[in-house]
Amino acid sequence: MPTASSTTATAAGTNTSVTATSGILQRLSSTDQDVKFKALRELKNQIIGNRTKKLSFLKLGAGPAVAAILAEAVMADDGDRNDSFNKNVIVQAAAVLGSFACGFDVGVQAVLDAGVFPNLLRLLSNLNEKVVDAGARSLKMIYQSKLAPKYDFLKEKNVEFLLSLLNSENENVSGLGSSIITHSCKTSVEQKLLFDAGVLKKLIILLEGSPSLRDSSLESLATIFKNNLEVVSKFVGSESGRALSSIIELVKDRFARTRLLASWCLIVIRNTSPCYLQDIAVKTKLTNTVLELVGDPGQVGDEASFAFSSLIAEKEDMQKLAFEINAIDKLYSHLQKDSLHPRRFEGILLALADMCSKLECCRSRFLSLQALDSVIVALAHDSADVRTAACICLRSVSRSIKNLSAGCFMKETVVFPLVRLLDDPSTSVQVAALGVISNIVVDFTTRRSSFIRCGGVKQLVQLSKSMDATIRLNALWALRNLTFQAENKCKERVFMELTASLLASLICDPEAFVQEQALALVRNLVDGCINSVECVFAEDGIILDAVGRQLQSALKVEIGIQGMYVLSNVATGKEFHKEAVMKQLLRYAETGTQSYIVKFLQSNDSRLRTAAVWAIVNLTSSLGAGASGRVVKLRDAGVLRVRTAVGQFSAFDVGST
Amino acid sequence: MGFNGSGTYITWYTIDNPSPKRCFRESEIHGNEGVGALMSLFWIVIRQLAEIEAMATSKKVITREEWEKKLNDVKIRKEDMNKLVMNFLVTEGYVDAAEKFRMESGTEPDIDLATIMDRMAVKKAVQCGNVEDAIEKVNDLNPEILDTNPQLFFHLQQQRLIELIRNGKVEEALEFAQEELAPRGEENQGFLEELERTVALLAFEDVSNCPVGNLLDISQRLKTASEVNAAILTSQSHEKGTYVCCQPY
Repeated sequence: MPTASSTTATAAGTNTSVTATSGILQRLSSTDQDVKFKALRELKNQIIGNRTKKLSFLKLGAGPAVAAILAEAVMADDGDRNDSFNKNVIVQAAAVLGSFACGFDVGVQAVLDAGVFPNLLRLLSNLNEKVVDAGARSLKMIYQSKLAPKYDFLKEKNVEFLLSLLNSENENVSGLGSSIITHSCKTSVEQKLLFDAGVLKKLIILLEGSPSLRDSSLESLATIFKNNLEVVSKFVGSESGRALSSIIELVKDRFARTRLLASWCLIVIRNTSPCYLQDIAVKTKLTNTVLELVGDPGQVGDEASFAFSSLIAEKEDMQKLAFEINAIDKLYSHLQKDSLHPRRFEGILLALADMCSKLECCRSRFLSLQALDSVIVALAHDSADVRTAACICLRSVSRSIKNLSAGCFMKETVVFPLVRLLDDPSTSVQVAALGVISNIVVDFTTRRSSFIRCGGVKQLVQLSKSMDATIRLNALWALRNLTFQAENKCKERVFMELTASLLASLICDPEAFVQEQALALVRNLVDGCINSVECVFAEDGIILDAVGRQLQSALKVEIGIQGMYVLSNVATGKEFHKEAVMKQLLRYAETGTQSYIVKFLQSNDSRLRTAAVWAIVNLTSSLGAGASGRVVKLRDAGVLRVRTAVGQFSAFDVGST
Repeated sequence: MGFNGSGTYITWYTIDNPSPKRCFRESEIHGNEGVGALMSLFWIVIRQLAEIEAMATSKKVITREEWEKKLNDVKIRKEDMNKLVMNFLVTEGYVDAAEKFRMESGTEPDIDLATIMDRMAVKKAVQCGNVEDAIEKVNDLNPEILDTNPQLFFHLQQQRLIELIRNGKVEEALEFAQEELAPRGEENQGFLEELERTVALLAFEDVSNCPVGNLLDISQRLKTASEVNAAILTSQSHEKGTYVCCQPY
């Protein structure tokens, strides 16, 4: 059926449904109890599984209407506890409210706004099992949403109530208990409190229950473990690890969702403290399972790639293990499927990014599969999250020095789409793209021209003026790497685009991390031949002045280091250049303030001492005609005395630079 | 959740023999350890199979005689066999038989036998083409089932559409497809394709000879019924393992 005809047909069909919809609503307010009950049941059967209808009924005010029926029926139930018709009304009303709240926040909000929460809670203490079931199910639906009210565990009565829920024979009620934990337990104080109250033991018992109860218990367990070393270590050590083994066992469960949740639990434990779950068999099984779940066609598959990332991120041993079971090949095979859901696409790209973040073997495997092509295509995806993930993936892969040297990435097919992303409406995409560019412009050949030709430098300079400090930082970082040991033509081009005044203002940026990058960029610009030193003297030397000012007030060691290397690079120049550096160093000596160079030479940070010593060495090197004069000046300012003292113990620093 | 017909399934012939005759196709067993987790009986079979596979470097066809011989060598514990039989009776809804078997063999079912009746009523309703009735019954049993299982919900609505078309209610069928099914197709590409296939039934004079005619077969009803059956069973199941989903085709 062509899509066009189906669209027009839907519009025509809506009319009849509107009449039917309002008909049900009218009958809901009927005084005839039987009519009302039938309308309630009809409403339930209309909306279950059908989001469109939920929305249209909610728009017409079904939420308050059903809430009113529930309130009335709950009150009537207090009067006559044996009225089975009334109990049926309660069950239907609670089911309708639960269905409205199932799986989408608009519905949850509407149900909460209708004020049904207290009445649903009251149902839990009803004597009729069906009423309890209905109440617990609806509350569970509400607690699966972020919008649910936070449950305050710090109130003693509340923990007692929670335990009574978890202890219930009714699986819907105990399931509700674990949903509340997953929803509301956030702080380490709350985690500890629940642990001390014996909640973990209850949850472990619930793992023996039905599949859905098992799943919700696993989620709660992970919530209580998350980043809480104390709770995790007590749990792992308890009952000689029997509880832990029951979770490990569930990694082999038949249901994909259970396997995923059990894996999440173990990942959370491992990430809290890497000393647990060191058993190679468990690690392998876990990695294998999560990797296999990435292939699941449903929601489980979408989430599994994120679980995989969490499992291997920053952990070289896990990445190696995953590599040995062909993770790169498997992830890539999922990437090749048609019409991937954006969330899944993003997850797989991020998983590949984590795989390639540390190990060269992973990167070579990735490149040998021609996976790069798929990632480049993803750079133009409609979803900003996918574009960001593609950039992050490329950044990891482009950490490969070997392939950078071979110029694998400095190709038009890679560079053009990346430069285009610098214009992206999403900041996170821009930042991620800058991250890749920073890597690939570290090119050891002369291919940088292709980047400049496609307007890359212009774009980077533009972004270095961004209002967003993170973008300024990353743009400068990219420029810094672009000028790293670059040929003069490239450096001149960058300087021309940037201008001295912009560079000077970036050196004085309000953010320290931007200042550092700006200084590092200048350091690279003035590195090398004498011509390049000239740039800091443009516009009456505003750059050099800015450097001097930042060094005097340097808040971060890194700023001192980069600034001192700028000065020592300039001090390799002619007499005139050396004298300008001297002026900067001794600028404050006349006013009686201690010069920063003295401070740097006495610093605890050997990197800073080294940088400072290099500057002095370049200034006083006997090759310069005015060297002896400068030695006198420096001695008068109290610098050289220090230098001699420092020279004795930092000689090896200097030597190793 | 694996009951959608594309997963591994086992075809049963009889279960009256202490060493039941079954037909495994090698490709179906290969790499599906999950099935083996059901009971130790399956483990044994699979272990044997693994041995066979280990012997052959490439995939090898096992003759029926060889297979029978292997099976005859398998020692099965009586309790396991009883559990398997009970599992089958419960899954397929033979309440009376399950009750008798419980008394005679002492094997306890993992599920309250009373719940079987409700489940069977739903299954029968689908098998008879009363899909709307079946949906209401499922919602009475547990409103979560269809709310959290979009695929099952779609297949039931699709079956409703098929029944409308079968009964020649063209107008109603079109309206139903637009109102109920089209929005689901917008949410899911796979559903859209299935919907298109189903609506195509309306385009043919002689549906029995059209390419999508099999949707009108009884097997389509059975497939839907079995999917609902499995979903209800899962929602009621207290057992750690699972029930074997038997599909007679």
